[in-house]
Amino acid sequence: ETLEDNPKPTFDFKSYMLQKANTVNQALDASVSLREPVKIHESMRYSLLAGGKRVRPVLCIAACELVGGDESMAMPAACAIEMIHTMSLIHDDLPCMDNDDLRRGKPTNHKVFGEDVAVLAGDALLAFAFEHIAISTTGVTPARIVRAIAELAKSIGTEGLVAGQVVDIRSEGQKDLGIKDLEFIHEHKTAALLEGAVVLGAILGGGTNEEVEKLRTFARCIGLLFQVVDDILDVTKSSKELGKTAGKDLVADKLTYPKLLGIEGSKALAEKLNKDAQQQLSEFDQEKAAPLIALANYIANRQN
Amino acid sequence: SVSANHLNSTQFDLKTYWTTLIAEIDNNLDQAVPIKYPEQIYEAMRYSVLAKGAKRAPPVMCVAACELFGGSRLAAFPTACALEMVHAASLIHDDLPCMDDDLSRRGQPSNHTVYGVDMAILAGDALFPLGFQHIVSHTPSDLVPEARILRVIAEIARAVGSTGMAAGQFLDLEGGANQVRFVQEKKYGEMGECSAVCGGLLAGAEDDEIRRLRRYGRAVGVLYQVVNDILEAKSEIPEDEEKKKKKGKSYVAVYGIERAAEVAEELRERAKMELHGFEKYGEKVAPLYSFVDYAVDRGFSVGESS
Repeated sequence: ETLEDNPKPTFDFKSYMLQKANTVNQALDASVSLREPVKIHESMRYSLLAGGKRVRPVLCIAACELVGGDESMAMPAACAIEMIHTMSLIHDDLPCMDNDDLRRGKPTNHKVFGEDVAVLAGDALLAFAFEHIAISTTGVTPARIVRAIAELAKSIGTEGLVAGQVVDIRSEGQKDLGIKDLEFIHEHKTAALLEGAVVLGAILGGGTNEEVEKLRTFARCIGLLFQVVDDILDVTKSSKELGKTAGKDLVADKLTYPKLLGIEGSKALAEKLNKDAQQQLSEFDQEKAAPLIALANYIANRQN
Repeated sequence: SVSANHLNSTQFDLKTYWTTLIAEIDNNLDQAVPIKYPEQIYEAMRYSVLAKGAKRAPPVMCVAACELFGGSRLAAFPTACALEMVHAASLIHDDLPCMDDDLSRRGQPSNHTVYGVDMAILAGDALFPLGFQHIVSHTPSDLVPEARILRVIAEIARAVGSTGMAAGQFLDLEGGANQVRFVQEKKYGEMGECSAVCGGLLAGAEDDEIRRLRRYGRAVGVLYQVVNDILEAKSEIPEDEEKKKKKGKSYVAVYGIERAAEVAEELRERAKMELHGFEKYGEKVAPLYSFVDYAVDRGFSVGESS
């Protein structure tokens, strides 16, 4: 009724992300302290606290808050997801895997600490993720925490990250692969952990089964979306803009969306995935769903 | 009562107990790691988890500790299998060229020599979470409340993590003097400790009993390894220099056979002393006693090879 009254407040995504990422960074810093043996813990912290946009932990917290939970219920899980993500990057960068020297604009873990420590630091982060959820989650029933742990485990192993990585490695240089293979790789390599992030948040926040499943579908769409955009950026941006080695998919002769669908076709697919994702949020309180809607748009439009 | 316990220990038929459990655990593991798409990774995982001749000492100790407090074997099996999965994961990674660079394990080519370094890393990365997943999805909820399952998860994660087995492996690689006890406790004691503690946690043992299991399991884990080192040294197949260098962190290599034998005796005493605290459970403590003597005497051979 007054001029100041804004009937449709716009959601300030940038400050939301900054504030949440900041809280997550503090929680991550506190979760892995420098202990004996110092070098392993330094190695874990080097990669875990290397920055990054914290998309996965923020998704976890946003999903938790969307279904009515508090940030604190999801924070240990959010940190655990980031630990797993970091671990997979450390191991993927190893010489026997993708052999990368640069990650998030810094030398990769094994370049700094050696391959042996990098393998151990990854293993330790993986294990600690589970320990952290199991002992640090508060305000949630043990039954829900156990359910969250089951989801997390599934998103990492042979039904998740690892499966994607295996098929990805095997697909290099093969000519007869199609969109189905590509989808399998990314549904596992990228989407599984994003799905884990969202689903863990929804479970820990007290979501109903129906809410959890809606958010699962949302996460699967933005997971694929994430990879389609990644593939587009790999061929359209420089290493400096990306903070990691650009064009490496081409060099490795990897199957990518632009290769299969062209740049324009890939962009059209990205648009459809974003739309499908947001469709899943339509029955939630739109004000509460604003962070996830904005996150989907952010993933679709990111430049690095 | 010490002699009564000794009687229990000698009368108890550990071989039957152990071999019966091995068969069940092997069967469970076989089902827990099926072959699906992408087959290669499941094959790599199965190669190490289902390796022939595995003694399954961690799972058997877990089951025995659970049964000590009246827990059901069914309550312990999923965790018992998980211990074997995470243990296999650690060993696969320990054998990698950038770590111990071992070409064989349990008398077979090591995982990476068969499946490649990349698959070996991924097989390990997949076995850790599979272990946790197996516990949470297979432990009967009517037998074990969720709060206990969370403690088991935390215990296993701690044991394999940056202050546990990973720390032991790191310190072993780093070299340096006078750390042999610490490295042995981390590399070999942690698994024994974790196995005994998980069994107790699943059965709802009291905190002081858990602490006792912790000390017992740690002593038995190290004892087993010290005796292994002694037996290996006595069998005296001359090792090449390369291999000797890698075995730097054993009691035998650092202090010689005689001192190692003394350490073994101390560990045996310590482990049994802890078990005296469980006398009120009567003959159910017998399996835990017999592990201690078995670790030293190796009175029979378990599995198909050592």
